[in-house]
Amino acid sequence: MPNILESQNLVKTYGDFTAVKGITFDIKEGEIFSLLGPNGAGKTTTISMLSTLYAPTSGDATIGGYSVTKDPMAVKRVIGVVPQDLALYEDLTAKENLVFWGQMYGLGGKSLTSRVDEVLEQIGLTDKAKNRVKTYSGGMKRRVNIGVGLLHKPRLLFMDEPTVGIDPQSRRAILDTVKDLNKQGMTVLYTTHYMEEAAELSNRVGIIDHGELIALGTQDELTKQVGETETLILHIGENEDPETLAKALSGVEGVQKADVTDHEVSVITADAKDILAAVVGKANERGIKIRSIDIREPNLEAVFLHLTGRALRDT
Amino acid sequence: MKSVASVSKKEVKKQSLSLCGKKVKIIMKKIFAIAWKDAIVRFTSPSELLFFIILPIVFTFLLAGGTPSNDDDNRIRIPVVDESQTAVSQQIIDELENSTAVRPEVVTRAEAQSQFDDRRADAVFIIPAGVDIEALQNGSAQVEMLQQPSNLNAGIAQRAILTAIRRVSSSVSAAQNAVRQREAKQAFASDAEKQAYFESSLTLAQDIQADAPERVTVIEGTTPDRVNYDPRANSSAGQLITWVFIPLFGISALFASERQGGTLRRLLTTPTTKATFLLGTISGQVAMALIQMFLLVGFAILAMKLNWGRDPLALFVILLASALAAAAFGATLGTFIKTEAQASGVSIMFGMVMALMGGCWYPLELFPTAIQSAVKVLPTTWAMQGMLDLVLRGGGLVDVLPEAGVLLVFAAIFLSVGVSRFRYE
Ligand SMILES: Nc1ncnc2c1ncn2[C@@H]1O[C@H](COP(=O)(O)OP(=O)(O)OP(=O)(O)O)[C@@H](O)[C@H]1O
Ligand SMILES: [Mg+2]
Repeated sequence: MPNILESQNLVKTYGDFTAVKGITFDIKEGEIFSLLGPNGAGKTTTISMLSTLYAPTSGDATIGGYSVTKDPMAVKRVIGVVPQDLALYEDLTAKENLVFWGQMYGLGGKSLTSRVDEVLEQIGLTDKAKNRVKTYSGGMKRRVNIGVGLLHKPRLLFMDEPTVGIDPQSRRAILDTVKDLNKQGMTVLYTTHYMEEAAELSNRVGIIDHGELIALGTQDELTKQVGETETLILHIGENEDPETLAKALSGVEGVQKADVTDHEVSVITADAKDILAAVVGKANERGIKIRSIDIREPNLEAVFLHLTGRALRDT
Repeated sequence: MKSVASVSKKEVKKQSLSLCGKKVKIIMKKIFAIAWKDAIVRFTSPSELLFFIILPIVFTFLLAGGTPSNDDDNRIRIPVVDESQTAVSQQIIDELENSTAVRPEVVTRAEAQSQFDDRRADAVFIIPAGVDIEALQNGSAQVEMLQQPSNLNAGIAQRAILTAIRRVSSSVSAAQNAVRQREAKQAFASDAEKQAYFESSLTLAQDIQADAPERVTVIEGTTPDRVNYDPRANSSAGQLITWVFIPLFGISALFASERQGGTLRRLLTTPTTKATFLLGTISGQVAMALIQMFLLVGFAILAMKLNWGRDPLALFVILLASALAAAAFGATLGTFIKTEAQASGVSIMFGMVMALMGGCWYPLELFPTAIQSAVKVLPTTWAMQGMLDLVLRGGGLVDVLPEAGVLLVFAAIFLSVGVSRFRYE
């Protein structure tokens, strides 16, 4: 498959702060590519440069063969954008919003009308199409926000954290929509800080942290980097000090790494069952009460932890 | 060969022309779509109609002094108490009756006092006993005037009354001059003859004043009582500017809301340029302003019998120029103010202050001269003067062109500042 997107060393600085520090990656036609990274990693900044909203400080990218710096108008016709923050007219109905944005993509006449109906069907809002967006639930607004990006059947769709802050049911619906779109041939660049979403959707994942792409590959390729390890997640009582426990566990034999994430302690080890007893013993010794223990197979979360020493969520 | 080549060249040109035409068409469609979207957004809440047409009409009506009286006489009504009952006092009243600004209504002192106390009269004019030709001549004649405090109409009435007295005394002195000159040459046979001569001279002097409109205009042009003011015309034009300019300044709030709501950022990821956005937003608001202005002018013509419509082209030119200047100012304002709430607050404030200072609420002539020149930096001043040229002074296209020109210069300056400073963050 040819590349629909090629990003070359994209850099974006705000004043003397560099938000994106030279990002290079490709997206193949037909795949779902996820950018996985914690808050402030530079996902939105990257998408903004790719969608021609900000000029990169340096570097360039081509999309569908057009340069984002030299031919932004041509790029805009290839891409659809679903911004992280809702960008809709709340006083308009869903239908009026879709019609308006369709016109901004240059659609009109009958083809616009039928396309709007199609998109409403796709996002499951045909029934409520004539209600004002401000009367919608958060999940419904998110769906309209996505619908706007689909109107002109873009070859490449940017979705910037489209599931942030919504209920599990709406999230499920959105993930299914993404998969459907992809099946119909749309290439998707999806950003998220949820490891599970990246895992479920993507063919390939780029892990981004502090403006740098620190890992890139299929899920299998990435998890192999961590090696044959498992992660123990220790949930402790609210009044307990996770730092003390993490420090104590670092010395235990068989523990490769022990870190505090949220109010949990993650322990990376070759084989969880070998150290389980020692871990519990150490906790008892310090008088720290463990409420439950999860054992996780290697996953993207572990990859991130392995690469950065931090958990995805609490940074 | 040559001809083939030239044909294909032509063909290429034709193609690129039609491509260009297509592009323009798409852009026009987008501009219209943006304007239409803004119209829907603006009128989703029915309360917008209140600000668009209902309140402007109510205010125009109230500030015009309510219903025009039945005889269509819109001069300021002044109760006049005539305790002299002399030829002179009658002449003064007659002069007042001829005034374009006030309408005398002879009443008793008690009645006048009660109207004044109840604030039913802006001013009361009292001619006490003893105002006759002699008194006028030797300067001992005194009249009284009661005025409501800081009342515009009272000020106008005062000037009208002063003019009337001046006119009467000037015809009286002319007549007396005539009598004296005649006496110098040849004495009168009797007092009766002298009196008759005086009276015919007086009539002649008055006739000359009345029949010499040009001279009268020249004389009066320099006297302050000819304040070009008609409460209905001033209210109609002034309120129109106030209620149309505020929403046009509100373009600043529109920009802020598009920035804050992220819709502007999204728009710029579609194949739509910043220029198209600006054109669509501004032209949409200008179109709505024109509709609003036509409705208000229509109301003034039909319900207030004001003569807005004598030169439709001039009317259109001054309305469009005013709307463009205000819209461009709103666009500039929008580049200085970050949030929508601030922008709408500031728009209303600027709208009010500029309307007040631009003479939309009080005639500029009543401002100190220094302020009268200072407020020339405001678009409202020019808009108001342009509209008064039409509706008050009965001018035409030529008369409004200077004001329209100044307004278009305002528009050009503000628009270039607004566009060059425009940011989407
Ligand atoms: N306009 C700006 N001016 C200055 N700094 C900015 C600006 N926009 C973003 N940043 C900074 O750049 C960094 C990257 O921000 P960005 O929004 O790209 O992160 P993100 O990965 O999208 O995060 P999130 O998951 O919270 O959306 C952050 O530290 C942010 O504070
Ligand atoms: Mg983001």
